[in-house]
Amino acid sequence: MAARSAGRHERAAPLPGRAMSAAGIVCVAGAAVVGCGVLLALGTHAWRLALTVQAAGLSAVGVSGAAVLFGAPHMGVGFRGGFAPAFGVDRLSGFFLVVLSLIAVPAAVYARDALRDVPHPRVVAGLGGVFSVALVGLVAARDVATFLGFWELMTLAPASVILVVRQDERARRDVFAYMAITHLGGTGVWASMLVLSVHGALGGVALHGGGVRALVAVAAIVGFGTKAGAMPLHSWLPRAHPLAPANVSALMSGVMIKLALYGLIRVLFTWDRPVPLWVGLTLLALGALSAVGGVLYALFQHELKRLLAFHSIENVGIIVLGLGASLVFASMGRWQWSAIAFAAALLHTLNHAVFKALLFLGAGSFSTAVGALELDRLGGLLRRMPWTGGAFAVGAMAIAGLPPLNGFASEWMTLESLLHVAVYGPFGVSVAGALATAALAATAALAVFCFVKVIGLVLLGAPRRPETANAEDPPVGMRGPLVFLAGLCVVLGVVPGLLVPTLAQLGPGAVALSRGATVVLPSTGRLPTLALATGLLLLVGALWRAARGRRAAPSPAWACGQFVEPAMAWTSAGFTKPLRLFLEAVLRPSRELTVRVEHGVVREVVYEANVPHLFDTLIYEPITHAALRTAAAARRLQSGSLRTYLLYLVGLLALLLVLARSGVLT
Amino acid sequence: MSAATAVAGVVQVVGGVAVAPLIPGIVQRVKARLQGRPGPSALQPYRELRRLWRKSGVAPTPRTIIYELAPATVAASLLIALVMLPIGGRSPGWPVGNDALVLVGLLALGRFAITLAAWDTASGFGLMGASRELTFAVAVEAVLLLVLVLIAFPGASTDLVALSAQATRPAVWGEPAHWAAAFAFGLVVLAETGRQPVDNPDTHLELTMVHEGPLLEYAGRELAYLQWAAAARHWIMLVLATELFIPQPGPFLARLAVLAGSLPLWCVLLAVCETTQAKMRILRVPLFVGAGGAVCLLGLASWFAGGGS
Repeated sequence: MAARSAGRHERAAPLPGRAMSAAGIVCVAGAAVVGCGVLLALGTHAWRLALTVQAAGLSAVGVSGAAVLFGAPHMGVGFRGGFAPAFGVDRLSGFFLVVLSLIAVPAAVYARDALRDVPHPRVVAGLGGVFSVALVGLVAARDVATFLGFWELMTLAPASVILVVRQDERARRDVFAYMAITHLGGTGVWASMLVLSVHGALGGVALHGGGVRALVAVAAIVGFGTKAGAMPLHSWLPRAHPLAPANVSALMSGVMIKLALYGLIRVLFTWDRPVPLWVGLTLLALGALSAVGGVLYALFQHELKRLLAFHSIENVGIIVLGLGASLVFASMGRWQWSAIAFAAALLHTLNHAVFKALLFLGAGSFSTAVGALELDRLGGLLRRMPWTGGAFAVGAMAIAGLPPLNGFASEWMTLESLLHVAVYGPFGVSVAGALATAALAATAALAVFCFVKVIGLVLLGAPRRPETANAEDPPVGMRGPLVFLAGLCVVLGVVPGLLVPTLAQLGPGAVALSRGATVVLPSTGRLPTLALATGLLLLVGALWRAARGRRAAPSPAWACGQFVEPAMAWTSAGFTKPLRLFLEAVLRPSRELTVRVEHGVVREVVYEANVPHLFDTLIYEPITHAALRTAAAARRLQSGSLRTYLLYLVGLLALLLVLARSGVLT
Repeated sequence: MSAATAVAGVVQVVGGVAVAPLIPGIVQRVKARLQGRPGPSALQPYRELRRLWRKSGVAPTPRTIIYELAPATVAASLLIALVMLPIGGRSPGWPVGNDALVLVGLLALGRFAITLAAWDTASGFGLMGASRELTFAVAVEAVLLLVLVLIAFPGASTDLVALSAQATRPAVWGEPAHWAAAFAFGLVVLAETGRQPVDNPDTHLELTMVHEGPLLEYAGRELAYLQWAAAARHWIMLVLATELFIPQPGPFLARLAVLAGSLPLWCVLLAVCETTQAKMRILRVPLFVGAGGAVCLLGLASWFAGGGS
């Protein structure tokens, strides 16, 4: 154990006096170019050019990150204790730079056309660039002050974008909730990072003392968990993400919440290691709650971007399950599986970034084409917008965790990890592992349910309002990024085995996995993604050809002989009703039936159903009310009358004198 | 490849493709006899497939390519699932492997395709069935994974061939965990094959359909694919029931005999269950399947109480 940590430390140690590597030069140049892109957007009117410049700089950053991830020497310095600014990129940071640039580059290209319809495109382009710089800076920060500085910038940048594009009161209130919750939770980040820094843990000194270590672990889980959107600290996420323009939403859901997990990984896997068993089990519990809770509430959302935001919570839950399994394995001494579970979590991080960015950008295109994104008022968009719709369908299939796309590969690895937690653990751990496995399986089934609903309501069927019937595919600048991301979903799904061995080396424990198209885990099943994809493609093609081309009689859909009328169209609420009824005791849906009768004739029947967000009504609202009540009580002290304040001063003076006299203050 | 493995490969393909329709045929036949009717011959599903193969299709409006691809996707995912099954504890090394979780994923892919097709035609009855099927799937997948955890205990593997080797251990007879898993798997079989008390495969009333609902619009060869797929789902579930849960001797031929003997037995059991049970209320189905999950957790406790032998 000691030898292992010493070895890690050596690798990450600062390398003074060494010439900057090629990757380092590319990375710094890329970051500088992104900075130029920001200045260009804010200082001139050429915001489209500025976005191109940003995209170019971010690709350079991504390329250098990939170089480090796949074995180039580390850039810059390693983590250090003091407060002097320091930057560097090791392999884990390199991985997150790759994730960042895979999302940020398509998002920036997309924004070149998408921001035409957004108020103040110049400012949004500039602030989007600032956001990207904050994300790069956070990943490359190598001291506590830089880290926390970029952390705050990462929180503020999207909030300012939202305030620029949205002027209404609801949006401002939601931004306030976002800032309030992430800052209250964010104290955990500050607490854990500062404690670690004070003890020199960032510089490689092992942390001693059970109390301090537990404090750091809990503070980190609360702080980074809030920003990652893990339940029950997630309440800001479904409010803030839908408000931003699509390119910023993609960065928030795809990258920002992942960087919170990056911080959590640094604390729990590097600086505070080895963590005790209960930390891993806590992560398993939080992950299972977030995964099931996120997808369950997503199912009952009727607005597309809000639904996608809840899915971010679900996927963060899946990643946290992987991380928790990795920690549990580590505390049981099963290093091989610890590395596998860690690789599963990182792979899902990448996969979720790709398909969630794709879905948010797709939602942005739909919004540009048809306006509001209420699910019940879309429909038939696959025919009207084949490029956007097709890419969106691929993303939906990937997020639903279906073979042969990328979501399935990482969920498969996470399931294998959880199942082996159950198999290898002692009784309590085993029960936790079994429950987490079942929770993830239910999550996968619920995600399929949810995205069948989404694809059905958005892309298929008949258009449900005139704007939808006349929608058109956006210009190629907005289609290209979507097709690129959809292609990534396929590639990562077909050959994940090329990446998994690299990811497994980043975690605790060393495992030598064979590199190839198939993901092979030691002494268990394997995931032959390439064979599955090829087999499915060939068989579907052959069977489809054998069935088509024959005479087919056109006919309307069967409705017991009636014509299918628009009023008979299924709704989001209708499709999920069996599940809502079954889970009535948990979800507590409300419904209200109002019948208006005039002169004995029923004129109008209004049916309103709603699934309240119980975390808001049962946890956040009581806390908010208590805080407001306390504030109102405290306000009585502030009467505004000079005489009262003088009285306070005299009282304080008297109190201090009494205390000094009695010797308490000395 | 040894001769035994080659035979296993042949049974996987021929059995899955050609023998599978016999299973619902036998169940219908036995059920009819139990109800005092002569009933159709056990070969009736083959006749229906032949008839459908010759008929022309129906093209409902509106629809997209998804409606046309769905039956092919369902059939393709089940075809791949067929060659993952262990037969007599063996499987030739097909490139798609033998992983249990991949098999669950393929079943989910088929479900996804057919429920999307229901949205594509936006038929009210199709969507009714689709939403119920997806609701059931939540409980089914969760319980299936718990079953998998329980039977993975001795070997720590999710490979179906390795799992089926566990059934030849003499200790299996006395393991409550194994029998808890077997019980829960039985409930999963009922739900996944769409048999009573979960679903009524004979119903002609659209309002009560679950699995049949999304099939309503289809005709001709596309319907033939879907009907074959329903039969193949029976085959997959029943073969797994034998290979993973029936304690049996190790030699390949003996295992093959056990498989051949048990399949008709399962058919009779399904028929008896379908004759004696009424279809339950839809909202009770997740609880019914979920009871299997509770039994699995008890099995888990018993595994540790028994010292994890």
